[in-house]
Amino acid sequence: MIDGRLGRRALLAGAAAGLAAPRALAFGDEGAFHPRLLLTGTSRLEGPRARATARWAEDLRRQTSAPSRVTPGTVRADAPQLLAEPFAVWAGEGAIAPLTIREVEGLRKFLLIGGILLVDDAAPEGGAFGRDARRELARVLPESAVIKLPEKHVVYHSFYLLARPVGRVEGPDHLDAISLAGTAQVLFSSHDLLGALAREREGTPTYRVEPGGERQRELATRLAVNIAMYVLCSNYKDDQVHAPMLMKRRAPK
Amino acid sequence: MDRTLALSADLSRASIVVAVGLAALGIALLGLEVRGRRESRWLVLATGAAAALLSLVAILRPASVRTKSARVGARVTVLVDRSRSMLLPGLGGTRDEVGARALAALSHAAKDARITVSGFGEGPASPVGDGPPSFVRSDLGAAVLRLLDEPGEPPAALVVVSDGRLDASRGDRELTEALSRRRIPLSAVAVATDAPRDASVLKVSTSGAAVAHQATPMTIEVACAGLSCDAVPYHVRELLDGAAPQELASGTVSLSRGAGSVDVPITLERAGPRLVEVSIDAPSGDAIPDNDRRTLVVDVTRERVRLLHVAGRPTYDVRALRNWLKSNASVDVIAFFILRSDRSEVTAPDSELALIRFPVDELFTTELPTFDAVVLQDFDAVPYMRGEMSKYLRNLAEYVERGGGLVMVGGPGSFSDGGYAGSDLARVLPVKLEGRRGGDNVDQARVAPRVTTQGAAAPMLAPVRALLGGELPTMPGANIVGDARDGALVLWEHPTRVTSTGKPMPLLSLVEHGDGRSIALGLDGAHRLGFGEVAARAAGRGHGALWDGLLGWLMRDPRFEPAQVELVAPCLTGRPTKLRVVPLPGTTGDVVVDLVPATESPRGTVRRVAIPPGAGSVEVDLGALEPGGYMARVKVGDGGGATRRAIACERGGDEWADPRPDEARLRALAAATSGEVVRATDAARLSLPAAAEVISEMHVSPLAPAWAWTLLATLALGAHWIARRRGGLS
Repeated sequence: MIDGRLGRRALLAGAAAGLAAPRALAFGDEGAFHPRLLLTGTSRLEGPRARATARWAEDLRRQTSAPSRVTPGTVRADAPQLLAEPFAVWAGEGAIAPLTIREVEGLRKFLLIGGILLVDDAAPEGGAFGRDARRELARVLPESAVIKLPEKHVVYHSFYLLARPVGRVEGPDHLDAISLAGTAQVLFSSHDLLGALAREREGTPTYRVEPGGERQRELATRLAVNIAMYVLCSNYKDDQVHAPMLMKRRAPK
Repeated sequence: MDRTLALSADLSRASIVVAVGLAALGIALLGLEVRGRRESRWLVLATGAAAALLSLVAILRPASVRTKSARVGARVTVLVDRSRSMLLPGLGGTRDEVGARALAALSHAAKDARITVSGFGEGPASPVGDGPPSFVRSDLGAAVLRLLDEPGEPPAALVVVSDGRLDASRGDRELTEALSRRRIPLSAVAVATDAPRDASVLKVSTSGAAVAHQATPMTIEVACAGLSCDAVPYHVRELLDGAAPQELASGTVSLSRGAGSVDVPITLERAGPRLVEVSIDAPSGDAIPDNDRRTLVVDVTRERVRLLHVAGRPTYDVRALRNWLKSNASVDVIAFFILRSDRSEVTAPDSELALIRFPVDELFTTELPTFDAVVLQDFDAVPYMRGEMSKYLRNLAEYVERGGGLVMVGGPGSFSDGGYAGSDLARVLPVKLEGRRGGDNVDQARVAPRVTTQGAAAPMLAPVRALLGGELPTMPGANIVGDARDGALVLWEHPTRVTSTGKPMPLLSLVEHGDGRSIALGLDGAHRLGFGEVAARAAGRGHGALWDGLLGWLMRDPRFEPAQVELVAPCLTGRPTKLRVVPLPGTTGDVVVDLVPATESPRGTVRRVAIPPGAGSVEVDLGALEPGGYMARVKVGDGGGATRRAIACERGGDEWADPRPDEARLRALAAATSGEVVRATDAARLSLPAAAEVISEMHVSPLAPAWAWTLLATLALGAHWIARRRGGLS
């Protein structure tokens, strides 16, 4: 969950974008990348990170050929709409109340039909959100364990070549994941990725990125683009046809 | 009429012997008894002997037999070879003509014999009809062994009229042993003795199953007799429907002692039944040009479907299709997604990007034939094909005509907006493209596709129907396309929008074009079958079910064909070719067969047969076909699509591949059964079994009634008893 650090106007704008009835999508838009924020319990959409998903979508649209929805919405874990699209972001910085049975069932269905969930800990320094999210997802997928995503995983080269994940904080040098049928469907970031993407309305970054500064923010943006491409293309970049190129090039440190 | 004496027919030989023996013994003992006696000796002996003889006669009861007999000729069965090799040159005409003359001469010369004439070729012997020989085999063994099993009088001899080029479903030894056991000689009339001056493709064989995209070894055997042919050029070509034949291999076969073979690898790119023609350039003077080429159907399997997936931009629809393709173990997917466009603002150097060049030239030229199917998903061809666009799209069209599968999936960069209208590619799509690139080519209204009548019955949609019934999710708009092309099948249509001719606009349609198939899906929301409220009811499996059916149909998976089709018998010129069509259960309507020669400019013929209610299969007569390859497209009812059946038709087939007569084989068969072999010109001199005497009438009359013989014997015994008493004997 994201605490309320937004001004009133921003809060209303974010709520309008996220909670209003979905408008009819134009031809070609429905399959666009849509980083929906997942809401659980009594949590609400608040704070600068609520706008970060829009920035994420905008970065993807600007840098790649992928279409994206620049006014991403939210979706509740127990709502049927969760099953309407294959991606959601569960972000927060505090402890999480246990999920309800309906939320557990909703998330389980979402993941079993192939959905991908990014869990982004906005306060990795404390780690409460990440820890609780792991606990709750163990209820959702009790048969699946959290593993360290190997450095050769496709998410590190689905568009940009990345040596490691970073966000607002440098964090651990890897992402964790829960895989189903060989596909990483839950990604755990302990880097506050949305924090690195968050911008004020005038476009200035909301949070300082440490310790790498703007270069680290650029790499965090690239990670976000890569995660989007992973959602859209799956393991496309693991195809054999890309192997020679990947052998020649090395990810920047 | 002849008259003879005989004993009573109700006595066995043993009882006659016993009776005669007892009478002789009695007389002998009586002689011993009266030896040395003077008184009444001769009287006792005479009355005793008379009593014994009369008793014997009373037992044997002799009769007068009058008989009437006639000479009957031996039963001779003549088996005439009715295989197509009898149409080849023989001893002064075709072998069939020579055989007919020999048979007439034989019948004339053997007037005493009872000759029955039958033909042999395939299975049991059958009456010789008026038409030319038409069997594709010369199975003498099957005919003879079946003949021997028939009840009634067995033949005294068999005469075979043949060129000796026999097939043997049973071994020659089994045949000759069966005849020898019954003491039936097999003689033969050889209708040909000398090999014609001819070069031929003797045999074509492949080792193991042919697999698409992989080299398959093919062995070509060539025979030559009477001509100068140390080296004979050969060609292997794939016959295509609506396109020029494609050369697969060529070279020269070296011959030694009139025979030679070559092993040549051929690679067929398309799976399914493929028509392959093997031909030789025979030297001049070749007597039988028809056996210079063989046409055969090679069933090509595929290990995996090799599929090229090109997406113009990454979307959830692309993701859904890719995930299904990658999860399908039978698909080897090669994907190219356009991840960066000219408008993309990427500041990172190329060295920090995981992007590769889109190898458009390789994909749409040299590599194209290696794919079983190509999926163009929301792919705007214009920016990537640039100056070569017409060439690449022409290549894609020819790829379909030669048997490839093509799917165009909708999106903002697809169909007319992808620059395909008016291109060569457009003519192989199931829908007409009327829009102009950049024009109003998209209907933005959300749409839930309507399943057409044909779609409701189409086997390729059965998996989706099984999961979702007739309900389809709402999708965000559609590509605007024109009417379905002739022969196309529309499975889904727009519920409200119509084409320029007023027909409902096709949303999902498919068509056969040339040897290949294509599908047009004018939607980019098919992923809604995998995600969404409707999809969730089927646990998200609807999207995979849709593509399972579509790709299966594209690759001619039998599960999605409207019927099973097979030839009733091999196709040979001059005799009717029939197809047996087995529709899916419950199919009604007509079976329509469109028969198209596998040539560059084919003209098809259509035959229509109604499916009788409850019929499990339907036979369709295609008539007599000329030599060559054909593709029969069989449509059944409204089931959708056409099932193809490749047909290789030859004038002589295997029977003409080796035109050399085999007199030695006839001689071996005859020698093993004590028969003889004569040439056709000497047929009248063939030795046949002699005629036999047969009793046709018989009358039996006893010389005297049994009671008379008994009375006489009793009187004789009484006289003997009196003579003994007077002679002092007891």
